[in-house]
Amino acid sequence: MKNFTWKWALILGVIAFSVVSYWYNGKQALVRAGKDPDQMTLGEIARNGLKLGLDLKGGIHLVLRVKTDDALRAVTDEEVDRVKRVLKDANVSVREIKRSNDTQFTVFVVLDSDKDRVGKAAEGSADFEADQQGPGWTFKMKAVTIQRLRDETVKQAIQTIRNRIDEFGVSEPVIQPAGGERILVQLPGIDDPARAKRLIKTTAQLYLKIVEAGPAPSKDGLLAAYPGGIPDNLEVVEGEREGGSEDTAAPGSVWWIVRKQAVITGRDLKNAKRSADESQRPTVAFNLNLQGAAKFGQATGENINKRLAIILDGKVKSAPVIESQIHDSGRISGNFTIEKAEDLALVLRSGALPAGIEYLEERTVGPSLGADSIKKGITSSFLGIFFVYVFMLIYYKGAGTNAAIALTLNAIILIGVMANFGATMTLPGIAGFILTIGMAVDSNVLIFERIREELRGGKTVRSAIDAGFSKAFATIIDTHITILISAAFLFQFGTGPVKGFAVTLTIGLIASVFTAVFVSRFLFDWWHRNEERIEHLSI
Amino acid sequence: MEFFHKQTNFDFLRIKWWCIGISWVLILAGLVSVWHKGGYRYGIDFSGGTQLILQFQTKTDVNGIRKTLEELGHGETVIQKFEDEAANQFLIRIQQRKEGEDVTQIVLDGLAEKLAPGSPSKFDLNRKGKKDLSESFHAAGLQAEAAAKAPDANRFYDELAEKVVGARTQKGVFAGVDEAATASGVGPETGQWLKSNTIAGPFVVLSAENVGPQVGKDLQKQATLAVVLSLLGMLAYIAFRFDLKFGVGAVIATIHDILITLAFFSFFNKEITLVVIAAFLTLVGYSVNDTVVVYDRIRENLKGGRGKKIEDVINSSINQTLSRTILTSGATMLAVLALFFFGGDVIHDFAFTLVVGIIVGTYSSIYVAAPVVVIWNEVVAKKKAAAAGGSAMTSR
Repeated sequence: MKNFTWKWALILGVIAFSVVSYWYNGKQALVRAGKDPDQMTLGEIARNGLKLGLDLKGGIHLVLRVKTDDALRAVTDEEVDRVKRVLKDANVSVREIKRSNDTQFTVFVVLDSDKDRVGKAAEGSADFEADQQGPGWTFKMKAVTIQRLRDETVKQAIQTIRNRIDEFGVSEPVIQPAGGERILVQLPGIDDPARAKRLIKTTAQLYLKIVEAGPAPSKDGLLAAYPGGIPDNLEVVEGEREGGSEDTAAPGSVWWIVRKQAVITGRDLKNAKRSADESQRPTVAFNLNLQGAAKFGQATGENINKRLAIILDGKVKSAPVIESQIHDSGRISGNFTIEKAEDLALVLRSGALPAGIEYLEERTVGPSLGADSIKKGITSSFLGIFFVYVFMLIYYKGAGTNAAIALTLNAIILIGVMANFGATMTLPGIAGFILTIGMAVDSNVLIFERIREELRGGKTVRSAIDAGFSKAFATIIDTHITILISAAFLFQFGTGPVKGFAVTLTIGLIASVFTAVFVSRFLFDWWHRNEERIEHLSI
Repeated sequence: MEFFHKQTNFDFLRIKWWCIGISWVLILAGLVSVWHKGGYRYGIDFSGGTQLILQFQTKTDVNGIRKTLEELGHGETVIQKFEDEAANQFLIRIQQRKEGEDVTQIVLDGLAEKLAPGSPSKFDLNRKGKKDLSESFHAAGLQAEAAAKAPDANRFYDELAEKVVGARTQKGVFAGVDEAATASGVGPETGQWLKSNTIAGPFVVLSAENVGPQVGKDLQKQATLAVVLSLLGMLAYIAFRFDLKFGVGAVIATIHDILITLAFFSFFNKEITLVVIAAFLTLVGYSVNDTVVVYDRIRENLKGGRGKKIEDVINSSINQTLSRTILTSGATMLAVLALFFFGGDVIHDFAFTLVVGIIVGTYSSIYVAAPVVVIWNEVVAKKKAAAAGGSAMTSR
């Protein structure tokens, strides 16, 4: 007789593998969420066995674009400054430096004889190529540099965003490049998209600069004191008006003139956290690292009684008076809510973004919709499978039981493999699961119909079974491959939920070849194992 | 039980021209419908825009919401009931005006302001997240002794916040702050704090989606590419496994299925979204699947002997596979119907695509894929006859 032992072992092994994978996955997920292994209930593990997509769990999906042009512009600015300095040192009078775009500028000098000097200045640049075009020298950023800067900026943005999200406390976030300037961010379980979006988007450029003049209610009023234009080392900055309620600045802005050279920047911070001022309003307290503290100590020591403007993302938040020399700590106050102060401290800790960010796509699913989807998905799954079972049993009687067992096994394997690979189950994924069941029936139907046909043709039961399985095999393979081709394209093209669908479909179909061909066959053989010649086949 | 006790012997191909006629009528009707309605309805995945699903606190009607949105200046909006009528859930769609606007926030705040003036600036329990609640609890020092005893104060407040948010998830939306204050696990001290410091705003956001116009265009391109490549992949595989004419037949059958399903989309004003495209791709796979089963049988029967008229071979092949075709379609249809009726609104259009697609796909395997092979054969044979001059084997 055929050796049934190894076949039983294989089938039971596969079942065991699936169950263990699911259980283990569930445990790991709970551990990652911070639960104590000893305190986990079976129910909890069962609920967490499969990783759930955002559409089932609730959460945020964001695609954002890093405005790398900002970074390019910043580097070009630095180059312009460098060229200016070099020419100044060489006593060359510059007539004009004209900016054409983010990566290009042209230098015009007064004296023709000085033109060579410009060329010399250009040689010192690793990132720009200069060319004499007509009356001026045009500096263009090298293509290699542009690409490198764009890539670096995106990488840096990803790192900064990751820092912020870590601090925000999301379990299992996804932050990855999505081609070109795009970044994909997925935050499962977060139910307040507004706050998360704000957090990610804040550039958080912090500068502390000495104030020379202000506050003044209008820009012109301020500039009136400088009839010849403001000197090179100063600049005008807009600021929030003091006063106002929690969370809303008083209407209108004030204007300040500050020194361009910052005393300290965000990079000098060692730490920042939310605290409260004397009137218990939320503020952000920060302290500085060694170099920062040294710079701060010197600057405050030299500028007692002057104001220090705290400039966040280009706006003056507040400008307290320097009362005495301070070394290593300070406080930012303004119109903060607890939440805003908390977030500001967080972004300061995580560092500034290298460039601005724009949201291209946003999808948020709240927890109740997610829970609803899960419920509906499970209900329709059970119903679908139930209908199919009933159908198979009525139509194919005994053989139908084989099919039902094979289908159940199919479902178990599908879930086990998904758990093992850490694949994500989404709502379309559940649909794919139901579809797989429907189509797995196809394989069984092909075989059973073939068997019936062979029986009608007069074959013995055993040879009918043989013929049914072998003749149907080629068709089964063909049909599965065609759908797998579709699934492959779906996987390639789809995002999130659609990918989940492709995954369940693929795994389910492959599993169905195994269950329909191997397991079904085995069940037939095993059921009739004691019969020399099978008299009657229930089909 | 058996529906097909003996081998059936319908002459399917006899009425092939009638059926081809019906197909054309449906396809043309679909095109007319599309032209008449000015295109298909695209979801925001492809047209860009904002889609919000909100659950309102009190009974609201569509017109009221529409008026409010128009007053806020958002132009053309689509509002429809979502899922549970009794639960006041509505789906709102707004066209995106330009790249980079955070329309979601603007609309939500605007709507909240109109329905409950002053609410956007207060702590709204129906909109704030767990983290905000946790931080506020922490800052207010609620249940201080219990918090001090807990191993991690942050976790303690997180769990406390979870009790409130969990209650909201259960109920759907808080009708008033009292519901939150009396949720299980929320002590009297916290309940009191909630009553004095928070409000229950006019709606809960069940889901919010915003797709910029650029992303929309990209997705359109990708979707089309995926479908076209899929079809080409099928063509290649079938041409390889069978023969070129079979491959062409399968592809034509599949295109026929896609066109008719799209026609039904237009008739019923269904929306084309990413998930629907997934359904279409599945349809492509399924339709070819079906066609392959028939082809397989044709191939097997052709091996049996030359001299048979190809039309007869195909007819008997179809008859032989009829039981399997009906049964599989039936079984898959059962599964899909479960989805269609019980799967909920989110997956509904996906199920619709498959319901139509399975029926049409089965039909096309018999009345499109097979006739193509027959007609191709006839054309080739006629050409051979013309080239060879004199008598040659022609099919009837």
